[in-house]
Amino acid sequence: MAIQTPGKRPAKRFLKSKVMGGKFHKGKKSGNADLQLTSMVDMFTLLVIFLLSNFSASGDVLFMSKEIQLPTASHGTEIERAPVVAITDSFIGLEGQKVVDVDQIAHDEILNIQQLEDNLRDLKKREEFVHQLDKDHQFAGKINIQADKRTHFKIIKRVMYSCAMAGYGNINFAILAGKQEKGAPGTPATPPPAN
Amino acid sequence: MAGAAVPEGGGKGKRKSVDAVINVVPFIDLLSCCLSFLLITAVWTQVGKLQVSQAGGASTDTTPPDPKTLVLTLTISGKGYTLIAGQGGQNIDIARKGTEYDLQALGDKLKDIKTAYPDQRTISVAAEDDVQYNDLVQTIDTCVKMGLDGVSVQAAT
Repeated sequence: MAIQTPGKRPAKRFLKSKVMGGKFHKGKKSGNADLQLTSMVDMFTLLVIFLLSNFSASGDVLFMSKEIQLPTASHGTEIERAPVVAITDSFIGLEGQKVVDVDQIAHDEILNIQQLEDNLRDLKKREEFVHQLDKDHQFAGKINIQADKRTHFKIIKRVMYSCAMAGYGNINFAILAGKQEKGAPGTPATPPPAN
Repeated sequence: MAGAAVPEGGGKGKRKSVDAVINVVPFIDLLSCCLSFLLITAVWTQVGKLQVSQAGGASTDTTPPDPKTLVLTLTISGKGYTLIAGQGGQNIDIARKGTEYDLQALGDKLKDIKTAYPDQRTISVAAEDDVQYNDLVQTIDTCVKMGLDGVSVQAAT
């Protein structure tokens, strides 16, 4: 028997086989590899369907910031586009713009916040002017109050009063949709601002 | 790879393959664009609203009170809740559980009232100055949960 080089020595019938024989051919392999796209297309399709089902045409209604932690409630309804009054520990803002510092109004005797009321009146005039010919979008006095969950009612009531004075009587409290919080034992209670 | 069978040519020459390869590249392009757009515009925080009205002004309403409903007033104070059902009704005090307001007990009381007065839809929530917004929202949420969705908010006197 002749001496052969070490390596695989398939049986003759394997060498002739169309199925198995290919494994033992030592020809140059092609440099092109077929990319398996089916699974990628499947994944893309699933992602697109998921994102489309969660798509919100109204977009971000509120100006989310780290300073405002919204409370969670489970029975809220979908928020609509309306002017947003933001209340943080330090300032009160309207439509993303700071209006007045909380410290500045803390010592006021009167209930309304004059700067906020003036800004809201201007906003109302603008809204009424813009929509004067648009019968479908008449001014409805809607306003969203986006307050930090530790804000005291002392501030909230003054903001609500100012809104009502300016003609925004349809008040909505912004909340995070979710399960109702079981109290908030860890919530640090901030002292109420001095009068 | 995605493929689709097409009718055979029926020519005389070499037999044509029955497999036709669909060009998936434009499809992937379209999906990529859709995916990018949807990811950029996605709103991850589900924000909602609790609609309230403001109470406290002088009432000009001269209509007689509906006998099927009550004037419900819920006061939130540092000690807990005080629920007053009807004119001259008895005060129902619900004390706080440690640092938390007892939402469960409040829900039970409101449920009893709602059972007795199914047409009742309104409640007036009066909060003291040092009540936190979170507690106010949780209280309103409990009221809405019990079917009292006409919530008006006012300052406690």
